[in-house]
Amino acid sequence: MLRYILSRLGQSVLVMFGVSLLIFYSLHLTGDPAAVMMPPGSSQAEIAHFRQAMGFDQPLLWQYGHYLNAVLHGDLGQSLRYDQPVTELIVQRVPATLLLAVTALAWSTIVGVLLGLVSAIWRNSFMDLLARLLAFSGQAIPVFWLGLLMILLFSLQLRWLPSSGYGSASQLIMPAISLGAYYMSAIARLVRASLIDVLHLDYLRTAQAKGLSQWRILIRHGLRNALIPVVTVQGMYFASLLGGALVTEIIFAWPGIGRLAVQAIQNRDFPLVQAIVLLAALVFVVVNLLIDLLYVVLNPRIRL
Amino acid sequence: MIFPTKLLSRRPRKRFSGDGVVGGGLLAAVILIALVSPWLPLPDPLTNNLADIFMPPGTTTADGTHWLGTDQLGRDLLARILSGTRLSLMVVLLAAAIAAVIGTLLGMVAGYAGGWVDATIMRLMDIQLAVPFILLILLVMALFGTTLENIIIIMGVTSWAIYARVARAKTLELRELEFVEAVRAMGFSTPRILLRHILPNLATPLIVLLTLDIPRLIVLEASIGFLGMGIQPPTPTLGNLIGEGRSYMLLAQWLVLYPGLVIAALVIGCNLLGDSLLRKTHTRLD
Repeated sequence: MLRYILSRLGQSVLVMFGVSLLIFYSLHLTGDPAAVMMPPGSSQAEIAHFRQAMGFDQPLLWQYGHYLNAVLHGDLGQSLRYDQPVTELIVQRVPATLLLAVTALAWSTIVGVLLGLVSAIWRNSFMDLLARLLAFSGQAIPVFWLGLLMILLFSLQLRWLPSSGYGSASQLIMPAISLGAYYMSAIARLVRASLIDVLHLDYLRTAQAKGLSQWRILIRHGLRNALIPVVTVQGMYFASLLGGALVTEIIFAWPGIGRLAVQAIQNRDFPLVQAIVLLAALVFVVVNLLIDLLYVVLNPRIRL
Repeated sequence: MIFPTKLLSRRPRKRFSGDGVVGGGLLAAVILIALVSPWLPLPDPLTNNLADIFMPPGTTTADGTHWLGTDQLGRDLLARILSGTRLSLMVVLLAAAIAAVIGTLLGMVAGYAGGWVDATIMRLMDIQLAVPFILLILLVMALFGTTLENIIIIMGVTSWAIYARVARAKTLELRELEFVEAVRAMGFSTPRILLRHILPNLATPLIVLLTLDIPRLIVLEASIGFLGMGIQPPTPTLGNLIGEGRSYMLLAQWLVLYPGLVIAALVIGCNLLGDSLLRKTHTRLD
Protein backbone atom coordinates (compact mmCIF):
# COMPACT_ATOMS: atom_id res chain seq x y z
CA MET A 1 0.00 0.00 0.00
CA LEU A 2 2.72 2.46 1.03
CA ARG A 3 4.75 1.48 -2.02
CA TYR A 4 1.76 2.12 -4.26
CA ILE A 5 1.14 5.55 -2.74
CA LEU A 6 4.81 6.49 -3.05
CA SER A 7 5.06 5.37 -6.66
CA ARG A 8 1.86 7.24 -7.60
CA LEU A 9 3.21 10.30 -5.82
CA GLY A 10 6.49 10.02 -7.71
CA GLN A 11 4.63 9.74 -11.02
CA SER A 12 2.59 12.83 -10.21
CA VAL A 13 5.71 14.86 -9.44
CA LEU A 14 7.25 13.68 -12.71
CA VAL A 15 4.14 14.69 -14.64
CA MET A 16 4.09 18.15 -13.10
CA PHE A 17 7.77 18.51 -13.96
CA GLY A 18 6.94 17.64 -17.59
CA VAL A 19 4.05 20.09 -17.64
CA SER A 20 6.29 22.89 -16.38
CA LEU A 21 8.81 22.07 -19.12
CA LEU A 22 6.05 22.13 -21.74
CA ILE A 23 4.71 25.46 -20.51
CA PHE A 24 8.17 26.95 -20.36
CA TYR A 25 9.08 25.89 -23.88
CA SER A 26 5.74 26.83 -25.44
CA LEU A 27 6.78 30.49 -25.31
CA HIS A 28 10.24 29.79 -26.73
CA LEU A 29 8.86 27.83 -29.67
CA THR A 30 8.09 31.10 -31.43
CA GLY A 31 11.79 31.94 -31.52
CA ASP A 32 11.70 35.26 -29.71
CA PRO A 33 9.43 35.44 -26.66
CA ALA A 34 10.21 39.12 -26.09
CA ALA A 35 8.86 40.08 -29.52
CA VAL A 36 5.74 38.01 -28.91
CA MET A 37 5.04 39.46 -25.48
CA MET A 38 5.57 43.12 -26.31
CA PRO A 39 2.64 45.02 -27.82
CA PRO A 40 2.72 45.17 -31.64
CA GLY A 41 4.55 48.25 -32.89
CA SER A 42 7.16 48.30 -30.12
CA SER A 43 10.56 49.56 -31.21
CA GLN A 44 13.60 47.27 -31.40
CA ALA A 45 15.17 49.08 -28.47
CA GLU A 46 12.08 48.54 -26.32
CA ILE A 47 12.01 44.85 -27.22
CA ALA A 48 15.72 44.51 -26.47
CA HIS A 49 15.26 46.21 -23.12
CA PHE A 50 12.31 43.97 -22.26
CA ARG A 51 14.28 40.91 -23.33
CA GLN A 52 17.03 41.83 -20.91
CA ALA A 53 14.61 42.66 -18.10
CA MET A 54 12.87 39.29 -18.44
CA GLY A 55 16.17 37.39 -18.75
CA PHE A 56 15.33 36.08 -22.25
CA ASP A 57 18.91 36.76 -23.32
CA GLN A 58 20.24 34.15 -20.89
CA PRO A 59 20.87 30.50 -21.83
CA LEU A 60 17.64 28.46 -22.00
CA LEU A 61 18.69 26.04 -19.30
CA TRP A 62 19.46 28.90 -16.93
CA GLN A 63 16.06 30.45 -17.73
CA TYR A 64 14.26 27.19 -17.05
CA GLY A 65 16.11 26.71 -13.76
CA HIS A 66 15.20 30.26 -12.82
CA TYR A 67 11.55 29.67 -13.74
CA LEU A 68 11.36 26.38 -11.85
CA ASN A 69 13.00 27.91 -8.80
CA ALA A 70 10.50 30.78 -8.79
CA VAL A 71 7.52 28.43 -9.27
CA LEU A 72 8.65 26.19 -6.43
CA HIS A 73 8.79 29.27 -4.22
CA GLY A 74 5.22 30.13 -5.15
CA ASP A 75 6.13 32.92 -7.57
CA LEU A 76 4.31 32.29 -10.84
CA GLY A 77 5.35 35.57 -12.40
CA GLN A 78 4.03 39.03 -12.99
CA SER A 79 1.04 39.80 -15.19
CA LEU A 80 2.10 41.95 -18.14
CA ARG A 81 -1.24 43.68 -18.39
CA TYR A 82 -2.23 44.25 -14.78
CA ASP A 83 1.32 44.58 -13.41
CA GLN A 84 0.32 42.41 -10.48
CA PRO A 85 1.54 38.99 -9.36
CA VAL A 86 -0.49 36.45 -11.38
CA THR A 87 -1.20 34.44 -8.23
CA GLU A 88 -3.19 37.39 -6.83
CA LEU A 89 -5.26 37.66 -10.01
CA ILE A 90 -5.97 33.95 -10.03
CA VAL A 91 -6.84 33.72 -6.33
CA GLN A 92 -9.44 36.47 -6.80
CA ARG A 93 -11.17 34.42 -9.48
CA VAL A 94 -11.07 31.02 -7.79
CA PRO A 95 -14.30 31.36 -5.72
CA ALA A 96 -16.47 32.12 -8.77
CA THR A 97 -15.17 29.16 -10.78
CA LEU A 98 -15.32 26.86 -7.77
CA LEU A 99 -18.94 27.83 -7.07
CA LEU A 100 -19.90 27.20 -10.69
CA ALA A 101 -17.99 23.92 -10.92
CA VAL A 102 -19.29 22.48 -7.65
CA THR A 103 -22.90 23.42 -8.44
CA ALA A 104 -22.61 21.92 -11.92
CA LEU A 105 -20.96 18.75 -10.67
CA ALA A 106 -23.48 18.35 -7.84
CA TRP A 107 -26.66 18.61 -9.91
CA SER A 108 -25.24 16.59 -12.76
CA THR A 109 -24.20 13.76 -10.45
CA ILE A 110 -27.58 13.60 -8.72
CA VAL A 111 -29.64 13.79 -11.91
CA GLY A 112 -27.22 11.55 -13.79
CA VAL A 113 -27.38 8.78 -11.18
CA LEU A 114 -31.17 8.98 -11.04
CA LEU A 115 -31.50 8.83 -14.82
CA GLY A 116 -29.08 5.93 -15.01
CA LEU A 117 -30.97 4.11 -12.28
CA VAL A 118 -34.32 4.55 -14.03
CA SER A 119 -32.79 3.43 -17.33
CA ALA A 120 -31.23 0.31 -15.87
CA ILE A 121 -34.28 -0.79 -13.88
CA TRP A 122 -36.80 -0.42 -16.65
CA ARG A 123 -34.39 -1.41 -19.38
CA ASN A 124 -35.67 -1.16 -22.96
CA SER A 125 -38.92 0.44 -21.80
CA PHE A 126 -40.34 3.82 -22.74
CA MET A 127 -38.83 5.33 -19.56
CA ASP A 128 -35.44 4.00 -20.57
CA LEU A 129 -35.78 5.49 -24.03
CA LEU A 130 -36.71 8.87 -22.56
CA ALA A 131 -33.87 8.86 -20.07
CA ARG A 132 -31.37 7.79 -22.70
CA LEU A 133 -32.59 10.43 -25.10
CA LEU A 134 -32.08 13.08 -22.43
CA ALA A 135 -28.63 11.73 -21.68
CA PHE A 136 -27.80 11.61 -25.35
CA SER A 137 -28.80 15.18 -26.11
CA GLY A 138 -26.75 16.40 -23.16
CA GLN A 139 -23.66 14.94 -24.77
CA ALA A 140 -24.48 16.06 -28.28
CA ILE A 141 -25.19 19.71 -27.59
CA PRO A 142 -22.09 21.89 -27.37
CA VAL A 143 -21.86 23.84 -24.10
CA PHE A 144 -21.84 27.21 -25.80
CA TRP A 145 -24.84 26.45 -27.96
CA LEU A 146 -26.90 25.24 -25.00
CA GLY A 147 -25.94 28.41 -23.14
CA LEU A 148 -26.99 30.64 -26.00
CA LEU A 149 -30.27 28.77 -26.49
CA MET A 150 -31.07 29.19 -22.80
CA ILE A 151 -30.28 32.92 -22.93
CA LEU A 152 -32.51 33.17 -26.00
CA LEU A 153 -35.40 31.42 -24.28
CA PHE A 154 -35.17 32.35 -20.60
CA SER A 155 -33.61 35.80 -20.80
CA LEU A 156 -34.69 37.33 -24.08
CA GLN A 157 -38.08 35.69 -24.67
CA LEU A 158 -39.49 34.79 -21.27
CA ARG A 159 -37.40 37.25 -19.23
CA TRP A 160 -37.21 34.85 -16.31
CA LEU A 161 -33.47 34.78 -15.69
CA PRO A 162 -30.65 37.31 -16.04
CA SER A 163 -28.43 36.57 -19.04
CA SER A 164 -25.16 37.33 -17.27
CA GLY A 165 -23.45 38.41 -14.09
CA TYR A 166 -22.40 36.95 -10.79
CA GLY A 167 -23.69 37.29 -7.25
CA SER A 168 -27.25 36.01 -6.98
CA ALA A 169 -28.67 32.50 -7.18
CA SER A 170 -30.72 33.32 -10.28
CA GLN A 171 -27.51 34.20 -12.10
CA LEU A 172 -26.01 30.83 -11.21
CA ILE A 173 -28.81 28.70 -12.69
CA MET A 174 -28.11 28.90 -16.41
CA PRO A 175 -24.29 28.70 -16.25
CA ALA A 176 -24.52 25.70 -13.92
CA ILE A 177 -27.01 23.94 -16.19
CA SER A 178 -24.96 24.44 -19.35
CA LEU A 179 -21.71 23.41 -17.68
CA GLY A 180 -23.26 20.34 -16.03
CA ALA A 181 -25.30 19.03 -18.96
CA TYR A 182 -22.42 17.06 -20.43
CA TYR A 183 -21.43 15.42 -17.13
CA MET A 184 -25.04 14.59 -16.37
CA SER A 185 -25.24 12.67 -19.65
CA ALA A 186 -21.94 10.92 -19.17
CA ILE A 187 -22.82 9.88 -15.62
CA ALA A 188 -26.28 8.68 -16.63
CA ARG A 189 -24.84 6.48 -19.38
CA LEU A 190 -22.11 5.16 -17.13
CA VAL A 191 -24.48 4.31 -14.26
CA ARG A 192 -26.85 2.58 -16.66
CA ALA A 193 -24.08 0.49 -18.20
CA SER A 194 -22.37 -0.47 -14.97
CA LEU A 195 -25.64 -1.19 -13.16
CA ILE A 196 -26.72 -3.50 -15.96
CA ASP A 197 -23.33 -5.21 -15.69
CA VAL A 198 -23.77 -5.68 -11.96
CA LEU A 199 -27.44 -6.68 -11.89
CA HIS A 200 -27.00 -10.22 -13.16
CA LEU A 201 -24.07 -11.14 -10.93
CA ASP A 202 -24.32 -14.02 -8.47
CA TYR A 203 -24.16 -11.99 -5.30
CA LEU A 204 -27.27 -10.12 -6.32
CA ARG A 205 -29.08 -13.42 -6.83
CA THR A 206 -27.89 -14.43 -3.38
CA ALA A 207 -29.29 -11.22 -1.95
CA GLN A 208 -32.58 -11.95 -3.69
CA ALA A 209 -32.61 -15.51 -2.38
CA LYS A 210 -32.14 -14.15 1.12
CA GLY A 211 -35.45 -12.40 0.62
CA LEU A 212 -34.21 -8.83 0.78
CA SER A 213 -36.49 -6.22 -0.71
CA GLN A 214 -35.88 -5.21 -4.31
CA TRP A 215 -35.06 -1.63 -3.40
CA ARG A 216 -32.57 -2.72 -0.79
CA ILE A 217 -30.86 -5.04 -3.24
CA LEU A 218 -30.79 -2.37 -5.86
CA ILE A 219 -29.44 0.45 -3.73
CA ARG A 220 -27.25 -1.31 -1.18
CA HIS A 221 -25.87 -4.06 -3.36
CA GLY A 222 -26.29 -2.89 -6.94
CA LEU A 223 -25.86 0.86 -7.05
CA ARG A 224 -23.06 0.89 -4.53
CA ASN A 225 -20.91 -1.24 -6.77
CA ALA A 226 -22.04 0.49 -9.93
CA LEU A 227 -20.88 3.80 -8.50
CA ILE A 228 -17.20 2.84 -8.36
CA PRO A 229 -16.54 3.71 -12.03
CA VAL A 230 -18.50 6.94 -11.54
CA VAL A 231 -16.01 8.06 -8.91
CA THR A 232 -13.09 7.44 -11.27
CA VAL A 233 -14.75 9.25 -14.11
CA GLN A 234 -15.42 12.28 -11.95
CA GLY A 235 -11.68 12.66 -11.57
CA MET A 236 -11.27 12.66 -15.33
CA TYR A 237 -13.92 15.36 -15.61
CA PHE A 238 -11.73 17.80 -13.78
CA ALA A 239 -9.52 17.86 -16.85
CA SER A 240 -12.31 19.00 -19.13
CA LEU A 241 -13.98 21.10 -16.45
CA LEU A 242 -11.77 24.09 -17.11
CA GLY A 243 -12.37 23.71 -20.84
CA GLY A 244 -16.12 23.73 -20.33
CA ALA A 245 -15.95 26.47 -17.72
CA LEU A 246 -13.94 28.57 -20.14
CA VAL A 247 -16.72 28.71 -22.70
CA THR A 248 -19.52 28.90 -20.12
CA GLU A 249 -17.87 31.78 -18.30
CA ILE A 250 -17.43 33.70 -21.56
CA ILE A 251 -21.09 33.30 -22.52
CA PHE A 252 -22.52 34.31 -19.16
CA ALA A 253 -19.82 36.90 -18.33
CA TRP A 254 -19.00 34.86 -15.23
CA PRO A 255 -15.94 36.35 -13.50
CA GLY A 256 -14.01 33.10 -13.09
CA ILE A 257 -10.68 31.61 -14.11
CA GLY A 258 -11.86 30.50 -17.54
CA ARG A 259 -12.78 34.04 -18.53
CA LEU A 260 -9.53 35.30 -17.03
CA ALA A 261 -7.65 32.79 -19.19
CA VAL A 262 -9.35 33.79 -22.43
CA GLN A 263 -8.85 37.48 -21.68
CA ALA A 264 -5.21 36.79 -20.86
CA ILE A 265 -4.73 35.09 -24.22
CA GLN A 266 -6.48 37.92 -26.05
CA ASN A 267 -4.29 40.47 -24.22
CA ARG A 268 -1.17 38.39 -24.95
CA ASP A 269 -0.57 38.29 -21.20
CA PHE A 270 1.50 35.10 -21.39
CA PRO A 271 2.80 34.82 -17.79
CA LEU A 272 -0.85 34.75 -16.67
CA VAL A 273 -1.76 32.09 -19.25
CA GLN A 274 1.22 29.95 -18.23
CA ALA A 275 0.27 30.19 -14.57
CA ILE A 276 -3.34 29.18 -15.25
CA VAL A 277 -2.28 26.18 -17.33
CA LEU A 278 0.17 25.12 -14.63
CA LEU A 279 -2.42 25.43 -11.85
CA ALA A 280 -5.08 23.61 -13.86
CA ALA A 281 -2.64 20.75 -14.46
CA LEU A 282 -1.76 20.70 -10.76
CA VAL A 283 -5.43 20.45 -9.78
CA PHE A 284 -5.92 17.64 -12.29
CA VAL A 285 -2.91 15.68 -11.07
CA VAL A 286 -3.79 16.07 -7.39
CA VAL A 287 -7.45 15.17 -7.89
CA ASN A 288 -6.54 12.09 -9.91
CA LEU A 289 -4.05 11.01 -7.28
CA LEU A 290 -6.75 11.33 -4.59
CA ILE A 291 -9.27 9.47 -6.75
CA ASP A 292 -6.83 6.61 -7.31
CA LEU A 293 -6.30 6.31 -3.58
CA LEU A 294 -10.03 6.58 -2.91
CA TYR A 295 -10.61 3.81 -5.44
CA VAL A 296 -8.48 1.47 -3.36
CA VAL A 297 -10.54 2.32 -0.29
CA LEU A 298 -13.88 1.94 -2.10
CA ASN A 299 -13.16 -1.34 -3.83
CA PRO A 300 -12.21 -4.02 -1.31
CA ARG A 301 -11.10 -6.33 -4.12
CA ILE A 302 -8.04 -4.14 -4.66
CA ARG A 303 -5.63 -4.87 -1.83
CA LEU A 304 -2.12 -3.72 -2.24
CA MET B 1 -43.44 -5.70 -6.51
CA ILE B 2 -41.94 -2.58 -7.94
CA PHE B 3 -39.70 -4.01 -10.58
CA PRO B 4 -40.36 -6.59 -13.23
CA THR B 5 -39.43 -10.01 -11.86
CA LYS B 6 -36.98 -10.48 -14.68
CA LEU B 7 -34.90 -7.69 -13.16
CA LEU B 8 -32.12 -9.97 -12.09
CA SER B 9 -32.11 -12.33 -15.01
CA ARG B 10 -30.18 -11.49 -18.13
CA ARG B 11 -32.24 -10.80 -21.16
CA PRO B 12 -31.16 -12.06 -24.56
CA ARG B 13 -29.32 -9.47 -26.61
CA LYS B 14 -31.32 -7.82 -29.30
CA ARG B 15 -29.95 -9.02 -32.60
CA PHE B 16 -30.65 -5.80 -34.42
CA SER B 17 -30.53 -2.31 -33.07
CA GLY B 18 -31.52 0.73 -35.03
CA ASP B 19 -28.97 3.07 -33.38
CA GLY B 20 -26.17 2.37 -35.79
CA VAL B 21 -28.36 2.71 -38.86
CA VAL B 22 -29.95 5.95 -37.62
CA GLY B 23 -26.58 7.38 -36.58
CA GLY B 24 -24.81 6.38 -39.75
CA GLY B 25 -27.68 7.69 -41.87
CA LEU B 26 -27.74 11.03 -40.08
CA LEU B 27 -23.99 11.39 -40.41
CA ALA B 28 -24.00 10.35 -44.08
CA ALA B 29 -26.82 12.77 -44.90
CA VAL B 30 -25.10 15.81 -43.34
CA ILE B 31 -21.72 14.97 -44.86
CA LEU B 32 -23.19 14.24 -48.28
CA ILE B 33 -25.14 17.51 -48.44
CA ALA B 34 -22.07 19.44 -47.27
CA LEU B 35 -19.88 17.74 -49.88
CA VAL B 36 -22.17 18.37 -52.85
CA SER B 37 -23.14 21.89 -51.74
CA PRO B 38 -20.75 23.67 -54.16
CA TRP B 39 -22.88 22.24 -56.99
CA LEU B 40 -26.22 23.05 -55.39
CA PRO B 41 -28.10 26.14 -56.61
CA LEU B 42 -27.14 28.26 -53.58
CA PRO B 43 -25.84 31.84 -53.38
CA ASP B 44 -22.10 32.26 -52.80
CA PRO B 45 -21.30 31.95 -49.06
CA LEU B 46 -18.88 34.90 -49.12
CA THR B 47 -20.72 37.47 -51.25
CA ASN B 48 -22.25 40.35 -49.27
CA ASN B 49 -25.63 41.70 -50.24
CA LEU B 50 -26.44 44.63 -47.98
CA ALA B 51 -29.94 45.03 -49.42
CA ASP B 52 -30.99 41.67 -47.96
CA ILE B 53 -29.61 41.62 -44.41
CA PHE B 54 -31.33 39.61 -41.63
CA MET B 55 -33.90 38.01 -43.93
CA PRO B 56 -35.79 35.36 -41.92
CA PRO B 57 -35.60 31.73 -43.10
CA GLY B 58 -37.61 31.01 -46.22
CA THR B 59 -37.50 34.53 -47.67
CA THR B 60 -37.20 34.73 -51.44
CA THR B 61 -35.14 37.57 -52.91
CA ALA B 62 -33.51 38.29 -56.25
CA ASP B 63 -30.76 35.75 -55.36
CA GLY B 64 -33.31 32.97 -54.90
CA THR B 65 -34.82 31.51 -51.76
CA HIS B 66 -32.81 31.83 -48.54
CA TRP B 67 -33.97 28.61 -46.87
CA LEU B 68 -32.26 29.45 -43.58
CA GLY B 69 -32.30 33.24 -43.93
CA THR B 70 -29.42 35.68 -44.27
CA ASP B 71 -26.87 37.18 -41.88
CA GLN B 72 -25.74 40.70 -40.96
CA LEU B 73 -24.10 41.15 -44.38
CA GLY B 74 -26.93 39.60 -46.37
CA ARG B 75 -25.06 36.34 -47.00
CA ASP B 76 -27.08 33.14 -47.36
CA LEU B 77 -26.92 31.21 -44.06
CA LEU B 78 -27.49 27.77 -45.61
CA ALA B 79 -24.60 28.27 -48.03
CA ARG B 80 -22.39 29.47 -45.17
CA ILE B 81 -23.35 26.56 -42.92
CA LEU B 82 -22.64 23.98 -45.60
CA SER B 83 -19.34 25.58 -46.50
CA GLY B 84 -18.50 25.81 -42.78
CA THR B 85 -19.43 22.17 -42.25
CA ARG B 86 -17.03 21.14 -45.00
CA LEU B 87 -14.17 23.12 -43.50
CA SER B 88 -14.86 22.05 -39.89
CA LEU B 89 -15.11 18.40 -40.90
CA MET B 90 -11.87 18.61 -42.81
CA VAL B 91 -10.08 20.12 -39.79
CA VAL B 92 -11.53 17.52 -37.44
CA LEU B 93 -10.79 14.52 -39.67
CA LEU B 94 -7.21 15.58 -40.38
CA ALA B 95 -6.61 16.32 -36.68
CA ALA B 96 -8.09 12.94 -35.77
CA ALA B 97 -5.83 11.25 -38.33
CA ILE B 98 -2.73 12.93 -36.87
CA ALA B 99 -3.78 12.00 -33.34
CA ALA B 100 -4.56 8.40 -34.32
CA VAL B 101 -1.26 7.89 -36.15
CA ILE B 102 0.91 9.37 -33.38
CA GLY B 103 -1.10 7.65 -30.65
CA THR B 104 -1.16 4.24 -32.30
CA LEU B 105 2.57 4.23 -33.03
CA LEU B 106 3.53 5.36 -29.53
CA GLY B 107 1.03 2.98 -27.93
CA MET B 108 2.25 -0.01 -29.94
CA VAL B 109 5.88 0.73 -29.19
CA ALA B 110 5.12 1.24 -25.48
CA GLY B 111 3.13 -1.97 -25.22
CA TYR B 112 5.56 -4.09 -27.21
CA ALA B 113 8.84 -2.75 -25.85
CA GLY B 114 7.87 -2.39 -22.19
CA GLY B 115 10.48 -1.27 -19.66
CA TRP B 116 11.67 2.31 -19.63
CA VAL B 117 10.30 3.01 -23.13
CA ASP B 118 6.83 2.12 -21.86
CA ALA B 119 7.29 4.16 -18.69
CA THR B 120 8.43 7.23 -20.64
CA ILE B 121 5.54 7.07 -23.10
CA MET B 122 3.07 6.52 -20.26
CA ARG B 123 4.30 9.66 -18.48
CA LEU B 124 4.05 11.63 -21.75
CA MET B 125 0.44 10.44 -21.93
CA ASP B 126 -0.18 11.59 -18.36
CA ILE B 127 1.27 15.00 -19.17
CA GLN B 128 -0.96 15.37 -22.19
CA LEU B 129 -4.05 14.41 -20.21
CA ALA B 130 -3.17 16.78 -17.34
CA VAL B 131 -2.86 19.94 -19.42
CA PRO B 132 -6.19 21.62 -20.22
CA PHE B 133 -5.76 21.26 -23.96
CA ILE B 134 -8.27 23.92 -24.99
CA LEU B 135 -6.11 26.52 -23.23
CA LEU B 136 -2.99 25.13 -24.82
CA ILE B 137 -4.64 25.28 -28.24
CA LEU B 138 -5.77 28.86 -27.70
CA LEU B 139 -2.25 29.75 -26.57
CA VAL B 140 -0.66 28.21 -29.65
CA MET B 141 -3.18 29.92 -31.93
CA ALA B 142 -2.35 33.26 -30.28
CA LEU B 143 1.39 32.67 -30.61
CA PHE B 144 1.56 31.24 -34.13
CA GLY B 145 -1.46 32.73 -35.82
CA THR B 146 -4.92 31.39 -36.58
CA THR B 147 -4.18 29.52 -39.79
CA LEU B 148 -5.80 26.35 -41.04
CA GLU B 149 -2.59 24.27 -40.75
CA ASN B 150 -1.95 25.48 -37.21
CA ILE B 151 -5.36 24.48 -35.91
CA ILE B 152 -5.17 21.04 -37.54
CA ILE B 153 -1.69 20.32 -36.22
CA ILE B 154 -2.28 21.57 -32.69
CA MET B 155 -5.60 19.72 -32.36
CA GLY B 156 -3.89 16.57 -33.63
CA VAL B 157 -0.84 16.67 -31.39
CA THR B 158 -2.90 17.40 -28.26
CA SER B 159 -5.30 14.47 -28.78
CA TRP B 160 -3.13 11.37 -29.20
CA ALA B 161 -3.08 10.15 -25.60
CA ILE B 162 -6.35 8.22 -25.74
CA TYR B 163 -5.29 6.38 -28.93
CA ALA B 164 -1.97 5.51 -27.34
CA ARG B 165 -3.72 4.15 -24.26
CA VAL B 166 -5.96 1.82 -26.27
CA ALA B 167 -3.19 0.73 -28.67
CA ARG B 168 -0.89 -0.02 -25.74
CA ALA B 169 -3.47 -2.09 -23.89
CA LYS B 170 -4.29 -4.17 -26.98
CA THR B 171 -0.62 -4.64 -27.86
CA LEU B 172 0.04 -5.93 -24.35
CA GLU B 173 -2.63 -8.59 -24.92
CA LEU B 174 -1.50 -9.42 -28.45
CA ARG B 175 2.18 -9.87 -27.76
CA GLU B 176 1.45 -12.81 -25.46
CA LEU B 177 -0.35 -14.68 -28.24
CA GLU B 178 1.24 -17.58 -30.11
CA PHE B 179 1.26 -16.01 -33.55
CA VAL B 180 3.36 -13.11 -32.35
CA GLU B 181 5.71 -15.51 -30.62
CA ALA B 182 5.89 -17.45 -33.88
CA VAL B 183 6.85 -14.48 -36.03
CA ARG B 184 9.37 -13.45 -33.40
CA ALA B 185 10.85 -16.95 -33.53
CA MET B 186 11.07 -16.64 -37.29
CA GLY B 187 13.41 -13.73 -36.69
CA PHE B 188 11.27 -10.91 -38.14
CA SER B 189 12.38 -7.41 -37.23
CA THR B 190 10.42 -5.52 -34.56
CA PRO B 191 9.10 -2.84 -36.97
CA ARG B 192 7.84 -5.59 -39.26
CA ILE B 193 6.13 -7.43 -36.41
CA LEU B 194 4.52 -4.21 -35.20
CA LEU B 195 3.33 -2.98 -38.58
CA ARG B 196 2.44 -6.25 -40.28
CA HIS B 197 1.24 -8.41 -37.41
CA ILE B 198 0.18 -6.20 -34.49
CA LEU B 199 -1.26 -3.19 -36.33
CA PRO B 200 -3.91 -5.09 -38.35
CA ASN B 201 -5.27 -6.49 -35.10
CA LEU B 202 -5.58 -2.98 -33.65
CA ALA B 203 -7.76 -1.78 -36.49
CA THR B 204 -11.14 -2.62 -34.98
CA PRO B 205 -10.70 -0.98 -31.55
CA LEU B 206 -9.03 2.04 -33.13
CA ILE B 207 -11.82 2.59 -35.65
CA VAL B 208 -14.42 2.35 -32.87
CA LEU B 209 -12.37 4.77 -30.78
CA LEU B 210 -12.10 7.20 -33.70
CA THR B 211 -15.87 7.22 -34.12
CA LEU B 212 -16.29 8.02 -30.43
CA ASP B 213 -13.47 10.60 -30.28
CA ILE B 214 -14.49 12.58 -33.37
CA PRO B 215 -17.55 14.15 -31.64
CA ARG B 216 -15.21 15.55 -28.98
CA LEU B 217 -13.03 17.06 -31.70
CA ILE B 218 -16.07 18.51 -33.50
CA VAL B 219 -17.17 20.29 -30.33
CA LEU B 220 -13.57 21.35 -29.55
CA GLU B 221 -13.09 22.86 -33.02
CA ALA B 222 -16.45 24.61 -32.75
CA SER B 223 -15.57 25.99 -29.30
CA ILE B 224 -12.30 27.43 -30.59
CA GLY B 225 -14.15 28.99 -33.51
CA PHE B 226 -16.83 30.33 -31.20
CA LEU B 227 -14.20 32.02 -29.03
CA GLY B 228 -12.85 33.69 -32.17
CA MET B 229 -9.47 31.96 -31.93
CA GLY B 230 -9.95 29.56 -34.84
CA ILE B 231 -10.17 30.12 -38.58
CA GLN B 232 -11.14 33.77 -39.04
CA PRO B 233 -14.27 35.19 -40.67
CA PRO B 234 -15.38 35.79 -43.38
CA THR B 235 -14.39 32.13 -43.97
CA PRO B 236 -17.19 30.24 -42.21
CA THR B 237 -16.72 27.35 -39.78
CA LEU B 238 -19.47 25.86 -37.61
CA GLY B 239 -18.00 27.52 -34.53
CA ASN B 240 -17.30 31.00 -35.83
CA LEU B 241 -20.78 31.16 -37.39
CA ILE B 242 -22.28 30.82 -33.91
CA GLY B 243 -19.70 33.20 -32.45
CA GLU B 244 -20.58 35.84 -35.03
CA GLY B 245 -24.31 35.20 -34.85
CA ARG B 246 -24.25 35.65 -31.07
CA SER B 247 -24.01 39.45 -31.45
CA TYR B 248 -27.25 39.51 -33.47
CA MET B 249 -29.11 36.90 -31.45
CA LEU B 250 -31.98 39.16 -30.45
CA LEU B 251 -32.56 40.20 -34.04
CA ALA B 252 -31.90 36.94 -35.87
CA GLN B 253 -32.00 33.79 -33.71
CA TRP B 254 -31.56 31.61 -36.79
CA LEU B 255 -27.91 32.65 -37.04
CA VAL B 256 -27.22 30.80 -33.76
CA LEU B 257 -29.86 28.11 -34.02
CA TYR B 258 -29.05 26.35 -37.30
CA PRO B 259 -25.25 26.04 -37.13
CA GLY B 260 -25.72 24.53 -33.66
CA LEU B 261 -28.26 22.06 -35.00
CA VAL B 262 -25.73 20.85 -37.57
CA ILE B 263 -23.09 20.35 -34.86
CA ALA B 264 -25.62 18.44 -32.75
CA ALA B 265 -26.60 16.27 -35.72
CA LEU B 266 -22.97 15.40 -36.47
CA VAL B 267 -22.22 14.61 -32.83
CA ILE B 268 -25.37 12.51 -32.33
CA GLY B 269 -24.75 10.64 -35.59
CA CYS B 270 -21.18 9.83 -34.63
CA ASN B 271 -22.08 8.80 -31.09
CA LEU B 272 -24.89 6.49 -32.20
CA LEU B 273 -22.68 4.91 -34.82
CA GLY B 274 -19.77 4.53 -32.39
CA ASP B 275 -21.94 2.99 -29.66
CA SER B 276 -23.40 0.50 -32.08
CA LEU B 277 -19.95 -0.40 -33.45
CA LEU B 278 -18.75 -0.84 -29.88
CA ARG B 279 -21.52 -3.34 -29.16
CA LYS B 280 -21.41 -5.15 -32.49
CA THR B 281 -17.66 -5.69 -32.44
CA HIS B 282 -17.63 -6.57 -28.72
CA THR B 283 -14.77 -4.14 -28.24
CA ARG B 284 -13.72 -2.96 -24.81
CA LEU B 285 -11.95 0.37 -24.73
CA ASP B 286 -10.96 0.55 -21.06
